[in-house]
Amino acid sequence: MRSVGGVDGLMKNIKDATGTVDEPREVELGHGITETLLGARPLLDDPALQRYVNEVGRWVAQQSERPLLPWRFGVNDSEHVNAFAAPGGYVIVTRGMLRVVRNEAELAGVLGHEVAHVVRKHHLNALRKGAWVNLLGAGAAAGTAGEQGGELVEALVGPTKELYARGLDKDDEFEADRIGVVLATRAGYDPWGLPAALQTLGTLKTDDPYLALLFKTHPNPGARLDELGVAMAANFDGFQGLPTNADRYLAATKKMRSTPPQAESKK
Amino acid sequence: MTLGYRWLLLIAALAAIPAWAQQNAAYVVRETDLKAKPFLDAEALGKLPEKATVTVLKRQGGWNQVKSGALEGWVPMLRLRLGNPDPKKNTTSIAAITGSFNQRPGAGPTATTGVRGFSEEDLKAAKPAPEEVKKLDDFAVSAGDAAAFAAAGKLTARTVAYVDADGKPVPVKK
Ligand SMILES: [Zn+2]
Repeated sequence: MRSVGGVDGLMKNIKDATGTVDEPREVELGHGITETLLGARPLLDDPALQRYVNEVGRWVAQQSERPLLPWRFGVNDSEHVNAFAAPGGYVIVTRGMLRVVRNEAELAGVLGHEVAHVVRKHHLNALRKGAWVNLLGAGAAAGTAGEQGGELVEALVGPTKELYARGLDKDDEFEADRIGVVLATRAGYDPWGLPAALQTLGTLKTDDPYLALLFKTHPNPGARLDELGVAMAANFDGFQGLPTNADRYLAATKKMRSTPPQAESKK
Repeated sequence: MTLGYRWLLLIAALAAIPAWAQQNAAYVVRETDLKAKPFLDAEALGKLPEKATVTVLKRQGGWNQVKSGALEGWVPMLRLRLGNPDPKKNTTSIAAITGSFNQRPGAGPTATTGVRGFSEEDLKAAKPAPEEVKKLDDFAVSAGDAAAFAAAGKLTARTVAYVDADGKPVPVKK
């Protein structure tokens, strides 16, 4: 139940929403969104792998315009192939995605795509453009009233589910692909990691239930490769022969890969 | 179970074959030269027409080494698509490329008994899990740790411009 104060805050902020969201509030929003995302499926119990994904992710994020965000990466315990970003530096990748990915350069590309969503504030802007602009104010009101957390998270649950089930605009996705490739390359990886992961996804049965949410919320892999082909053109030809670090990736994911998946719902 | 041992052998055999070697059929999205070496100015061994099918042998940076009939050569990776020109006809399951599950009847995520996953349905049913988000703090990595990790992996930071949708470099503002 939302308290009277929360509703007041909501009403007040419908009136004077300025549209600006400062960084602490952005992180708070991302925190709230991630509570719902991880509510769907918890983190994988594999601290070494969690740490490894943070190392790759943080190194990639350091190459962006927002290296000082409190970046948090996590692997959730789902065989569904997917990855998510939330405002303020939260990135979740499923173990199903880590099974499909073959080396650290591919992982860097996938995480770079998610980091790009954060850096370009794609989700924040989608929330702002939607009917949810008031939430940004409501969270702040709850925060200043010392009721941080509960109010905001509660108000965010509906919009989070709607946005993450619907997905972003496809131009945001294409932009995230281009930025993801560049961030991975800046990080010293083989630039073709993300394209390679997309190539793999493009071979899979399109009606595989474990791909349904990813394919619903993103343009199909072929279209993403077409766009990347034009955007990358010859721009990365000077970066041939950079590391993919397959051995380090396979070592870090070995325990996860050798663990049989648990039953999950597929719909 | 007598079947168990044989299934294990099958799983072991699948695991021994790199996942990407199992599904290496590809087609050419646009007419392209088959090059003798993975360089733009390398000798052209022949032309591959649009939709020509090839077998991918390996990838090296932005190039795939492919076999086309009796010829072997190199094609820019983004001129190729793995799988079927009509993705709806793709037959590869996730299990087939990961070699990791669904090998045994009744095992793996085909069973749906009561455990939630990360489908749209599961997302819609989700209840906020603040304790899970707090756990993320335990695994967070500092900029310094990330740099050490990069050095251990022989990764060197580089200056690379962003590119726009037309492939034009966008000036770096940092
Ligand atoms: Zn995306």
